[in-house]
Amino acid sequence: MYDIVNSLINVAFGWGWPGWVIALISHLAVTTLLFVIAPFQMLFLTYYERRAIARMQDRIGPNRVGPAGLFQPIADGVKMFTKEDIVPTAADKWVHFLAPCVVVAPTMLMFAVLPWGPGMVPADLNVGLLFFFAISSISAVGLMMAGLASSNKFALLGAMRAVAQMVSYEIPAVLSLLAVVMLTGTLSVVQLIEAQAGLFISSADVPGIPDLGLGWFIFTPVGFLAFIVFFIAALAEGERTPFDIPEADSEIVAGYMTEYSGMKFGLFYLAQYVLNFLLCAIAAVIFFGGWQGPGVGWLYDRAISPANPDGNWVFNVLAGFLGVFYLLAKTYAFFFVMVWVRGAFPRLRVDQLMDFGWKFLIPLTLVNIVSAAIWVALLRWGPEQGITFTQNWAPILRWGVAFVVTLAVNVAAYIALARIFAAAQAEQGRIDLDEYRDTLTATLR
Amino acid sequence: MTVKIERGQIVTVERGQRAARRIPGLGLLDGMAVVWKHWAGSFRKNQGFNDIHGVFTFEYPEERPKLPEAYRNMPILLYDEETGHELCTSCFQCERICPPQVIHMTQAKDPATGKPVPAVAEFVIEYDACMSCGFCAEVCPFDAIKMDHEFELSTSDHQKLTVFKEQLNRPISYYERIAPTMWAEVREGAMKKLQGNIKRRPDVIGMAPNLAEKIAARRRELEAAAAAAAAAAAPEAPAAAPAEGRKLTPEEKAAKLAAIKAANAAKKGGGATAPDTPATEAAPADEKAARLAAIRARNAAKQAGEAPAAAPAPEAAPADEKAARLAAIRAKNAAKKAAEGADGAPEATNVSAPEPAPAPPADGRPAPSGEAAGTGAAPADEKAARLAAIRAKNAAKKAAEGHDPEGS
Ligand code: SF4
Ligand code: SF4
Repeated sequence: MYDIVNSLINVAFGWGWPGWVIALISHLAVTTLLFVIAPFQMLFLTYYERRAIARMQDRIGPNRVGPAGLFQPIADGVKMFTKEDIVPTAADKWVHFLAPCVVVAPTMLMFAVLPWGPGMVPADLNVGLLFFFAISSISAVGLMMAGLASSNKFALLGAMRAVAQMVSYEIPAVLSLLAVVMLTGTLSVVQLIEAQAGLFISSADVPGIPDLGLGWFIFTPVGFLAFIVFFIAALAEGERTPFDIPEADSEIVAGYMTEYSGMKFGLFYLAQYVLNFLLCAIAAVIFFGGWQGPGVGWLYDRAISPANPDGNWVFNVLAGFLGVFYLLAKTYAFFFVMVWVRGAFPRLRVDQLMDFGWKFLIPLTLVNIVSAAIWVALLRWGPEQGITFTQNWAPILRWGVAFVVTLAVNVAAYIALARIFAAAQAEQGRIDLDEYRDTLTATLR
Repeated sequence: MTVKIERGQIVTVERGQRAARRIPGLGLLDGMAVVWKHWAGSFRKNQGFNDIHGVFTFEYPEERPKLPEAYRNMPILLYDEETGHELCTSCFQCERICPPQVIHMTQAKDPATGKPVPAVAEFVIEYDACMSCGFCAEVCPFDAIKMDHEFELSTSDHQKLTVFKEQLNRPISYYERIAPTMWAEVREGAMKKLQGNIKRRPDVIGMAPNLAEKIAARRRELEAAAAAAAAAAAPEAPAAAPAEGRKLTPEEKAAKLAAIKAANAAKKGGGATAPDTPATEAAPADEKAARLAAIRARNAAKQAGEAPAAAPAPEAAPADEKAARLAAIRAKNAAKKAAEGADGAPEATNVSAPEPAPAPPADGRPAPSGEAAGTGAAPADEKAARLAAIRAKNAAKKAAEGHDPEGS
């Protein structure tokens, strides 16, 4: 954006404004744009989810308002706006009021590091990934505020569940990302995407691979396992079924949202869907190359960019459109999978959720980090780091060996851990049953 | 996997192969595959009861499900369009069986005789309390009440849910359209019973009130018949009266006696001439009318005897029988006239009762039948027609009886 505004003001009009004014203008424009886009994403996602889940349940879904029901979310929004805003007398008014803001704000901030297309990132932080996940966990504070301020046992229960779940599942999410960070050696989201050029093999690993923008990490064993774990963790963080325990409506009404109505409830809703969108988008960025796809790289090479100031702005537009298209296509595909999972599986119990996170996902990601280390050792390290036997191997052979070894490690670890986990769960079930029987006989006696 | 049974299929979900189950997590994929199949199949419509995929939704206001014939919502009454007659005979079976007792009806009565007629005068169903059990339709021996397929009954007007016969009535063709085979099963019996019932319904009783033209047509028919009967009645009556071969009730006997006496008195009173029109046919209605006329004549005679001057007849006459009253009044008037006219005729006192009968000869008018026909054609309903017939016959009879002995 800076480039565009700069070329427009200083080059086209020749006004020669200072750099900070241009930076301010461009940032304001981007922020405004994102604040408009985010709610519309949420509106679209609610519609999208309802249509998709309806089809999975042999229904049609909303189809009355507007063409194919496309304006249904707007009608819902109008409804939300016109609802009475009720604050319980027992509630802590200020905290109750602030909680939705605290929940929504981080989701908006997370957009800051999300690259939409080549050169289309609001802020290219060198710790973008860290920023993203650090900010995302702030919303847990908002949830806790909402639960506590409501003075409602359901809200409190929901908030406690939400916070416990978010804290537990952030660990596997971040650990799985750690493996990817090890592969690339960077925390910058933009560089992560750039490392995924190539064709099924990243051109960073094997030089000379044709660049079709398909060198995604999902095609490596490490990336694949990391993606699975990350996606499950994302489901839990976004409070999607089967991990929608915090707002399990059949158990605790609506969890921390119980005492909210009108637009405040709408804000929670907004935050949730925007968060889901962001999680899907970041999954697409990290494992599926973000805007990377056939053609984008080629187009961007001919566009105006810091590396190539003499490009043609037409290619900027084309590359931007194609990149955004790829990113959104991937994001919506992930969201579809989220809906699909929701259609397929029932809700977990809290203890099952915790067990699954701590006893299965975290060990698995730890093994994945080991795999990532093997991958890096085989592909990147040379005699300087003390790895001498790969010295004379061709890059493609190194890649092949790394692929096979990490695949073997990951599959073995997955099966072994899953077996252990299943056995442990069965044993736990037996113990629970015994305990239950004992208490029962004790009370009966 | 699916198991075929007679009515369709039972779908059983099988767990994957044992080998597949060795790899943990594949069961989850099985579950997702099921959902995927539903999603992928949802771009077409569901095909039927054996199909578990495809969209089941009916986009209701635009798209309407084809309701099964036996679908039942609210009861309706049937009428036959050809004859215009309602099938209901007011047998009260449905009213009796209705569990919430929401059916109410009054039976139609013959206005001339006060006897119940196999037809319903008013029929009310409280739709708001009807529970659509269909008992009424099942119990009806005349297949007159059937269950409708109309289900869009919501209204803001509660009173509308008390439905009267006019709104309940549906032509048979309507029911035939919504339930062809069910109607075909009962058609023959129902129509036969209806034909039988129509015979027992006088006037336009039992005709669907919405069929105005039908009713009007039927009225015209009846009037024409009455006119014909009136025209025919004059000379034929005396022949008809003695022709009655059956056993007479005491009243009838008394009536006849009175009639004969009246005739005798008339004979004595003086000869008068009546036009000699040839008898045509003896309709059953004429026979009945003759009998009635006799009764009325006797009544009138009695009253006249009790109060020769101007006894108020209306009280004595049966309250509900307007016609009878009218006849009585006329008879009384005639008696009065006769008394005035017979002042110089001492024979009048010879008669056991001061008879009104001499009137016709005293009148001496040659057009009793013409008068009767004229009065008979004017009133709209059959009552009057019958009355006219009676009067005509009365006059004719007396005239004939008074004339006959002289003529022969
Ligand atoms: S359907 Fe049942 S409840 Fe309704 S009128 Fe008939 S008998 Fe009564
Ligand atoms: S509807 Fe049927 S059952 Fe009911 S009174 Fe009429 S004939 Fe009888």
